[in-house]
Amino acid sequence: MRLSGWAALRGYTFVVYGFVYLPIMLMGLFSLNASDMIAFPLTGFTFDWYTQILHDGRIFKGLLTTMAVAFPVTIITTVLGSMAALVLTRHKFKGKTAFLALLVLPFFVPKLIFAIAQVTFLNDVGIPKGLYTVWISQSMIILPFVTVIIASVLFRVDKRLEEAAGDLGATPWQTFRRVTLPLMKNGILAGSFISFVLSNAEYTVSYFTSGRAQPLSVLVASDFRFHLSPSLNALAMLIVLFNILVIVISEWFRRRSVQA
Amino acid sequence: MSSKRIDRVRQLTLLALTGPNVLFLAVFCVAPLAVLFSYSFFQVDFVAILREPTLANYARVLESATYRGLVIKALMYGIGIAAICSVIAYPLAFFIAKRVKVYKAPLLTLLLIPLYTGDLIRIFAWRVVLGAEGVLNSLLMWLGIIKEPIWVLLFSPFSTVVVLTYNYLPFMVLPLWAAIEAMDDSYLEAAMDLGCRHAATFFKVVLPLTGAGLIAGFMMVFVLVVGDYLTPQLIGGSSGVTVTSAIHDMFGAAFDWPTGSALAWVLLTAMAAFITAAVYLFYKSPWGRGIRGAK
Repeated sequence: MRLSGWAALRGYTFVVYGFVYLPIMLMGLFSLNASDMIAFPLTGFTFDWYTQILHDGRIFKGLLTTMAVAFPVTIITTVLGSMAALVLTRHKFKGKTAFLALLVLPFFVPKLIFAIAQVTFLNDVGIPKGLYTVWISQSMIILPFVTVIIASVLFRVDKRLEEAAGDLGATPWQTFRRVTLPLMKNGILAGSFISFVLSNAEYTVSYFTSGRAQPLSVLVASDFRFHLSPSLNALAMLIVLFNILVIVISEWFRRRSVQA
Repeated sequence: MSSKRIDRVRQLTLLALTGPNVLFLAVFCVAPLAVLFSYSFFQVDFVAILREPTLANYARVLESATYRGLVIKALMYGIGIAAICSVIAYPLAFFIAKRVKVYKAPLLTLLLIPLYTGDLIRIFAWRVVLGAEGVLNSLLMWLGIIKEPIWVLLFSPFSTVVVLTYNYLPFMVLPLWAAIEAMDDSYLEAAMDLGCRHAATFFKVVLPLTGAGLIAGFMMVFVLVVGDYLTPQLIGGSSGVTVTSAIHDMFGAAFDWPTGSALAWVLLTAMAAFITAAVYLFYKSPWGRGIRGAK
């Protein structure tokens, strides 16, 4: 391709990234604007909206609920996702396609239908809603993502390393413990971080399956359905910044092993 | 170890690895969907559910022009947004895969960050931008470009399309990028050397070789858009009545779980039928070479 073609593509790429980051950057800008109207012109610089959020007891309680969901979900999805990724990358067997289909099923069912199925199921079986119903339904939604991330690392790990361990007399368990596990460690870390972030962000399923204890996402949604305020901007910005931090760490882990 | 023993160990390992996943998904995903399916045959009697099988719910859903319209609208949005995303994503994915060297990983991570932040925050950010008294309108008015706020920016089909495209673009870029990354550059060079123009190179070389990525991205965006429930509601205003919000209403205020589950299953069936047809047609088309495998 001639040089001007690439230059045009480069410009185009910048435009798309601008589109991707424009709303987030404007949100950040207005979380620091002194006026309580989210509109131009800017009126001055303030941290008030951030201090307001940090002193909001309701938000703090929501944050605790979010964490009480995110940690168990991270553990469940990381363990199940690692197992699934191992199966998908290391084993050949009858019914593998069916296994894969089952694994990605929650991704292909619209979240609302999935959430309503959970509600009818819980109702029929007679299980009251609580934190653990959120653990389970969120885990289901997040599991495909975690599996793909861990599998993406395992795919690039040379299988001959494991075969060599076997040839040298290692038992399958020893091979797993001393060869495979260290090689997939970064994938597992990356997967767990992403799981944590996705759990924080999850709304639809949490809304339907959470009982009285409402995670932050559900609280924020009910707030901004009716009015937008700069303090919500500040809260959203804090969530975004926290997520960026976690995602960057996670990608760093994943790419480190992919490149090695 | 004898090979027999190794086989046994392998089988046990396989069982131990698949078992918990299969059990977990069967109990908490397949069973709830089955329960929902069973409800679509029940009847509702004022405030109680009568468990006497009937097909009346399906008849009601299929005969209603409103519900049919909502299902068709959802499918059209799915196809439309997936098409827009593929047009936006192709050049981007191509550039990142074939031109970017050092910053490839950071660029892809950058694309994923808004995705991982969740639908809610992204929708919120767009409401800040597009609102009648929001950032964009106030900016345009402040600069004197417009006198009155442009209302159509928010709570309209326009805003719905913008935000849906925004939300699901990464699901198109990633599979396309992976497919283009795997494509051998020499095919491109050969096409160029033989005097193929850009458009022809794209349709005759790139598209067939990256068809698998395109169809994967198309499927994902389609499914996610059809199933999207938050965006039209929080961004679409009066145009935001969707099949998902109709289903939600029947499980909420209307307390008509049977009709709600019938509508849900009609939607699921329509989605599955469309995906099957689309994948089949693409596979058969001259562009499906990448999926059929080089022959």
